[in-house]
Amino acid sequence: MVNGAWVCLLAPLAGFLAITLAGDRITRRQAGILSTASVFVGFAGAVVAFIDALSREPDDRAVTTTAWTWLAAGDFKVSIDLLVDPLSITMMLVVTGIGGLIVLYSNGYMEGEDEERRYFAYMSLFVFSMLMLVMGGNLLLLLVGWGLVGLASYLLIGFYHDRSSAIDAAKKAFVINTIGDAAMALALFLAIAKVGSLDYSTVFDAAQSGELSDTVVTLLALGLLAGAVAKSAQIPLHTWLPDAMEGPTPVSALIHAATMVTAGVYLICRTHLIFQAAPDIQHLAAVLGLITLLVAGGIALVQWDIKRVIAYSTMSQIGYMFVGAGIGAYPFAMFHLVTHAFFKALLFLAAGLVIHHLDGEQDIRKMGGLAKSMPYTRWTFLIGSLSLAGIPIFAGFWSKDAIISSTLAYGGALGWILYVGALLGTLLTGLYTFRLYFRVFHGEPSELVTAHTHGEHSDEGARSMLLPVGVLALGATFVGFLAIPGVWEPFEKWLEPVVPPLVQATTAQDWFSSLISVALASLGIFVAWRAFQARRELVPDGFARTALEHKLWFDELYDVAVSRPAQLVAMRLRDRIEVPVVQGGLDEVAEGAVRGAAATASVQSGLLRTYALAFTVAVAVLTLVFLVVR
Amino acid sequence: MMGPGIPWYLAISSILFSIGVAGVLLRRSPLIVLLSLEIMLNAANLSFVGFSRLFGEMDGQIFALAVMAVAAAEVCVGLGLIVAMARRRLALDVDTLTELRG
Amino acid sequence: MGNFLVWVIWLLAAGACVATGLRVITAANPFSSALSLIGNLASLAVLFLLASGEFVAAAQILVYAGAVMVMFLFVIAYLGGRADAPWAGGTRLIQTASVIAAASLLAVVFVALMLNAGDRLSDEASVTAAFGSPAEVGRVFLTDHLLAFEITSIVLLIAAVGGVVLGMRSAAEEEDADS
Repeated sequence: MVNGAWVCLLAPLAGFLAITLAGDRITRRQAGILSTASVFVGFAGAVVAFIDALSREPDDRAVTTTAWTWLAAGDFKVSIDLLVDPLSITMMLVVTGIGGLIVLYSNGYMEGEDEERRYFAYMSLFVFSMLMLVMGGNLLLLLVGWGLVGLASYLLIGFYHDRSSAIDAAKKAFVINTIGDAAMALALFLAIAKVGSLDYSTVFDAAQSGELSDTVVTLLALGLLAGAVAKSAQIPLHTWLPDAMEGPTPVSALIHAATMVTAGVYLICRTHLIFQAAPDIQHLAAVLGLITLLVAGGIALVQWDIKRVIAYSTMSQIGYMFVGAGIGAYPFAMFHLVTHAFFKALLFLAAGLVIHHLDGEQDIRKMGGLAKSMPYTRWTFLIGSLSLAGIPIFAGFWSKDAIISSTLAYGGALGWILYVGALLGTLLTGLYTFRLYFRVFHGEPSELVTAHTHGEHSDEGARSMLLPVGVLALGATFVGFLAIPGVWEPFEKWLEPVVPPLVQATTAQDWFSSLISVALASLGIFVAWRAFQARRELVPDGFARTALEHKLWFDELYDVAVSRPAQLVAMRLRDRIEVPVVQGGLDEVAEGAVRGAAATASVQSGLLRTYALAFTVAVAVLTLVFLVVR
Repeated sequence: MMGPGIPWYLAISSILFSIGVAGVLLRRSPLIVLLSLEIMLNAANLSFVGFSRLFGEMDGQIFALAVMAVAAAEVCVGLGLIVAMARRRLALDVDTLTELRG
Repeated sequence: MGNFLVWVIWLLAAGACVATGLRVITAANPFSSALSLIGNLASLAVLFLLASGEFVAAAQILVYAGAVMVMFLFVIAYLGGRADAPWAGGTRLIQTASVIAAASLLAVVFVALMLNAGDRLSDEASVTAAFGSPAEVGRVFLTDHLLAFEITSIVLLIAAVGGVVLGMRSAAEEEDADS
C-alpha cells in the first residue's frame, strides 16, 4: 500500500522534472505522452494502494509512513510523512484517474499550440502538488501541497501569457488564494505554539481533548476554513473562479472543477476533528456553502459564456459539499466530490469539444443546433447535464440527494434552512444547466455552426479527446451506484473509519427528499425547455437580472474596499519612503563615495615640486619624532 | 686631530643639505634641480667621511665612493631624460610636466 | 701654528662650499650654476683632505668635477638657449613653504647635533697615516666590501645602458625631424 502510494506521488513529479529538464530536446507530442504516462502510472500506484487497502481490515487501513525528518527546531519536528488511508486513497484515485483522462484529452485539444511542453510540464506539476496535498501526513505538508497547487493554478491560468486578461486572471486567483493561505499559515503557527506539533494525530487529539482553549480551537478552525473557502471559491473569496476560465479548457476541467477547488472539502473532512471541536465554525462552513450554492446558481442563469456557466455551476456544487461537510456528513460530501469530479470534468471537456469545433467561440448566443453535427458530444453533454441536475439514475442524483437528506436528518433551525436552500438549489441547477444544454445543442443551427459543419457527420475531435469524454460519461452514469441508500453503501463503509459522519439519514428520509429534489429538478428542466422554445430568458430584465449580471457587484466591492486602498498605500509608501529614503539613501552613499574620491584625487596635482615638498616636510617631522622618542 | 672637530663637518653637511633641498623645491628648470640634487648627495658624502674619521673605520669612505658612483649613474640617466625632453620639444619646466596628475 | 693654519683653510673651504652652494640654487644662468657646483665640489675635496680622506678627495675631483660636471656642461652647451632657467615659479605659498621646510630641516638637524655634540661626537679615533690612502681603500674594497664594489659596477653598467636608451631617437622623433 505504501509503495503504491509512493509511486503515485512521485510519478507525476518525475514527469514534470523530465519534461522541464528535457526542454527542447523532446517534441511536443513526446511531452504530452510523457505527461499522460506519468499521471497514469500514478493512477496505477493509487489502484495498487486501493486494492491493498481493500484486502485489509477496515480498521487497519490507515498507514503513516515517514521518509525523513524535514525540519527540526528544538522540540518541534516535522517529517516527510505520507498518510495513506481511505480518504487519501479516494482522492488519489480521483486526482490521478480523472487527471489522467484530462491530460490525455489535452494531447488532442492542445495540439498546434506553440508552448505545449510548458503546458504538460505544468499539468504534471499540478497533479504532483495535488497528490502532495492529499497524501501529506501532517499539516505542513498539506500546506506545501496547498501552496504548490496554487502555483500550478497560477501558471496554468496564465498559460496564454500574451493575453492580458489571462495574466490578470492568474494574478487575481493567486492573490485571493494567498489570503486563504495566509490564514491557514497563521492557524498552523497557532498550532505550533499551542500544541507543539503539526502531526495530524497530535493536533486532533489536542483539539478533542479540551487541553486547548475554545478560542484557540476556534481560531484554528477559522484559519483552516478561510483557506478552504479561498481554494474552493466559496463566497466571499470566490471572485477568482470565473476569471480563471481564461486558462485552456482542460485546465478548467482538471483544476477548477474536478480537483483543486475540491481541496477545501478534503481539508474540512481531513481536519474534521478540529472543526467538531469548534462547532460554530463548522456551521459557518455550511452556511457559506449554502449562500454560495444559491448565489452561484443565480448568476449562472444569466451567463452567456459556456465555460462561465459551468464555472458557476462548480461553485454551486462545491457549496453543496460544504453544506455536507458543515453538518458532519463527511462521506457524502466526499461522495459528491467524486461524482462531481466525473460529471463536471465531463461537461468541461465536452464544452471543450464544442469550442474546439467552433474555433474558439464560447458565446452560447452564437451557438445552436449542434446536436446534428456533433451527436457524440451532444449525448455525453446531456449525460453530464442530467447528472448535474440530479436526475436518477445518473451519479449526481445519488450524491446530491445524500447531502440533502442529511440536512433533513440534521434537524434544528440550521438543518431546515439548509434543507430548503438545498432544494431550491436543485431547482436552480436544473434551470441553468438545461438552459445551457438547449441553447447550445437544440434548435436551428446558427450561422457559426453552419459555417463549421462540413458534410453530414463532421469530425468532432481527435480520438484522444473523444475517449476520455466517453469514459467520463460512463463514470457520470454509473459511479452513483456506490451509495444506494438502504441497498448498497460501499462508499460510505469505505470512508466511515476515517471520517465517521455525524448525521445519518434514515432510508425513509432519503427517499422522501429524493422525491422532492427530483421533482424540482425536473421542473427546472421543464421550465428551461419552455423558455427556450419561447426564446425567452429565464431571468427577466430588471434589478434581479442586473444584479446577477454584475455578479452581485462583488468584484466592484473588492476593488473599492481592498484593491484601491492597497494600491494607494503602496504608491504612497513608494513615493514617500522607498524612493527618497531607501533608493535615495543608497544614491547618497554612492555619491558620497564619488565625492570623497574626487577630493582625495585632487591631492595628486602632478606637480613634482609639491610632492618633493611633501617629502621634505615628512622627513623633518619624522626626524623630530625620532629625536623626541629617541 | 688638528682643526675643527667632527661636529663642524656635520654642521657644514647639514647646511649644504638644506641648500640642496631648497634648490630642489624652488627651481623650475630640471637642470638646476639635478644640480641641487648633486649638492645634497655631496652633503651626505661629507657626513660619511666625517663619521669615518670619527670612528677610525674605512667604511664611511667606502660608502662615499659608492655614493659617488651612484650619483654619476643618476646624472647620466637624468641628463639623458633632459636631452630626450628637449628633443621632443617639451618645455624644460617641471611645473608643466604634470602627467602624474591623478 | 699648524692648528691655526688648518683652521683657516678649513674655514675658507667651508665658506666657499656654502657660498657656491647658494650660488648654484640662485643663479639664473645654468652655466653659472654648473660652474658654481664645480667650485662646490672642489671646496668639498679640500674638506675631505682635512678629514684624512685622501683617496675620496682625489676621486671627487677626478670623477665628480672631472667627469660628471663635464657631462653637465656638455648638455648645457647642447641645449643652448633652451636651458635658460628663469627663477622659481609656483605660487607664493609653495615658495614660502619650501623655504620654511628647508629651514626647519636644518634646524632639526642642528638641534640633534647640539644635543650630541658633547659626549659622542668629540672623541675622534686616532688614525695611522695610511688611513684614507688608496692602498687602504683598495684593500677594504677587495676584502670587507667586495659586494658593494661589484654591485656598484653593475649600477654603472645599467646607467650606461639607460643613457643610451634614453638618447636613442624614437620613431616619433624621426617623423618630426623629417617633416
